[in-house]
Amino acid sequence: MPDAEEVRIMYMMKKAAKRSKPVAKPKSVPAPMSSKQALSVVTSKVKSVEDRLAALAQVTPAISSNDDNLQAVLGVVRDVSEPVPLRMAVLNALQAASFSVVAFQSCQSDYRATLRKIAQDPNQELRERALGLLAREKDAFAQKKLLDGLENPDKALVAPEKALQLLSYDVHAAAYRAARAIVEHPVSPEAKFEALRLLATDPTAIPMFEKIVSDKDELRANRQVSASALHALDPEKLQSLARNIVLDTSDYDDIKATSLTALKQFGDPSKLAEDKTLRKSVSQMKTKGSALLRQSASQFLSKPD
Amino acid sequence: MNIELQINNGTSADARYLGWVPSPCRIRVTNPSGLTGTSVNLEITAKTMADGGQVQFRKGTSGAFSASITLSVPTTGATVPFLAAGKFGQPSSSDGDVAIEVRNAGNVIASNPVMVRIRKNANSLSTAERDRFVSAFAKLNNQGQGRYRDFRDMHVYASLSQSHGAPGFLPWHRAYLLDLERDLQEIDPSVTLPYWRFDQPAPNIFTPDFFGTAGPTGAVQFSATNPLQFWRTDGDLGVNRSPLFPISAAPPGLNNQAQTLSLGGPSNTFKLFRTMEVDPHGSAHTSFEGPIDTPATAPKDPLFFLLHCNVDRLWAIWQKKFARFDPAVAASFDSNPGNKPGHNLPDTMWPWNGITNGTRPPTAPGGPMSSSPSVAAPGPQPRVEDMLDYQGAINPVDQLGYDYDDAPFA
Repeated sequence: MPDAEEVRIMYMMKKAAKRSKPVAKPKSVPAPMSSKQALSVVTSKVKSVEDRLAALAQVTPAISSNDDNLQAVLGVVRDVSEPVPLRMAVLNALQAASFSVVAFQSCQSDYRATLRKIAQDPNQELRERALGLLAREKDAFAQKKLLDGLENPDKALVAPEKALQLLSYDVHAAAYRAARAIVEHPVSPEAKFEALRLLATDPTAIPMFEKIVSDKDELRANRQVSASALHALDPEKLQSLARNIVLDTSDYDDIKATSLTALKQFGDPSKLAEDKTLRKSVSQMKTKGSALLRQSASQFLSKPD
Repeated sequence: MNIELQINNGTSADARYLGWVPSPCRIRVTNPSGLTGTSVNLEITAKTMADGGQVQFRKGTSGAFSASITLSVPTTGATVPFLAAGKFGQPSSSDGDVAIEVRNAGNVIASNPVMVRIRKNANSLSTAERDRFVSAFAKLNNQGQGRYRDFRDMHVYASLSQSHGAPGFLPWHRAYLLDLERDLQEIDPSVTLPYWRFDQPAPNIFTPDFFGTAGPTGAVQFSATNPLQFWRTDGDLGVNRSPLFPISAAPPGLNNQAQTLSLGGPSNTFKLFRTMEVDPHGSAHTSFEGPIDTPATAPKDPLFFLLHCNVDRLWAIWQKKFARFDPAVAASFDSNPGNKPGHNLPDTMWPWNGITNGTRPPTAPGGPMSSSPSVAAPGPQPRVEDMLDYQGAINPVDQLGYDYDDAPFA
């Protein structure tokens, strides 16, 4: 990575680029400053949030260049007395810096520790952000907190649907159990949807997905996610179910359109071409169906890609 | 009389794709019946459909391109070379929407449909272009069972040292995008990777018919006719992605294009320019909550490739602006003996090189780089230096076979 002087030059050039553009409000253009000066603005509680956010952009690439920079910005994220928008912006800047993987390696452990702390922050938005970042790194601490919250709602750090979604990044048996419990006794439509998504890798859930796909009383989102799950777990079964749905004149247009899309996209083109009953039904949809059905029927009947 | 027209020096329909970069073409008489002399004058021109691409021609390796050229072609069957290129600013919107025609004495005697195939701004794609792209991408994924799985597996925690945080960041991702784009083109040759210009509002990308809209939990919702609704990676269904900015605007606070192009400092060096890995690249990734915000999980979201297409485009524009295509020019790259394997110009890049020893990741998914019917470069095991001269500005044989709508031939 470039050294401190090169970073300083880079930002002077960046500043020059900013000046070369038409600026509606010249007063809003931050004065040129080194990354060290910018860092002092970001961490200064006497500066306005606007100034601190403006300075943050100049600090981001230098976060991992030395430990003082890292500790200073981590301090802002951890400080519950700081404004939430600033803490969130600094958290995002840290995550952006983490894309420079090699340079950020030495920062990882302190960053991870901070995320675990923020995962229990009083602010929900920050909690969700931190838990999301940790869950995507398959962090065991976050997974335990999320499971604890599903089993004991009093301890929940995020809503059950969010917990299920985050657990799906690295599914363990305990998460399957929690998801099945929510499908059986959903606390909300969103939670059931996320539980179904999580169970999409569980072969024992095939009968449940079959039932939901065929159940006209189910929400379309749940039928759609069940169809997607079935396609991976039992592709032939889905093709058969999708065909039945298309031919069922009493089923809903959106689920018919989803079924047609599945058949067109992933079905066997030669088998579909020979299926006269299906093609006749789809041809009728093309002329007599709703706008959505006409669109999906046209796509289905178009030449293979 | 019969003639044979070779586009990209080939007769295959798969090779009939042009960019802004001049493509080598040939013409020859295959049946001289009816001809009397030793040669015949043939006019090469292009016929464009409404809103189609435009093609121009040149006889030799220098000089201006024009709408038509006349060649004296021997009746012996010997080939005569010429160059064809898309006219900058006039790309195709569908396959074969422009044809190269050959005329003899005013009569059309041959016509080959071609496409000026260019990477475009995703926010400005036509409905048909968008739908073709989405369909090809969904087929590549094939519910997590398709070739996309290799691309997912190339960009995981164990392999990030090959692709991130070092000078090879930009070349590696250029190869990654090219490999994927060539696979998309095997499914539908009219498709190119579009780019998400993240310093501008791009509301047309975040719609149910394209890359979807975030539902209440961040699970992306697609329309019933969008095949991306069946997207699947690592066994996970669908895509999670919540924008942390209003989709009617650009993400705030990241370097815009002018700022990015100035990152190279007073000497316009790659060493400084590559700090764009953090801002705008990293900042664009973290303008969402979801897998795309984390290096190891980012390709779970297909938007990854539109984001990186813009990163590559920015590098391409920077290269053009400061003449940084030539690997022999020090400022074109950040060579250093201390760079890890895969991050110096002569190094082959993982996973295409298949190396899985101690300095490389334990597996090499995907095999060699996919080939192209139109160009030979970069070969099955690309080196870092093969990625710099993407238009063949320094050496025509190095062109990689793609162009951006706003980056003319060098």
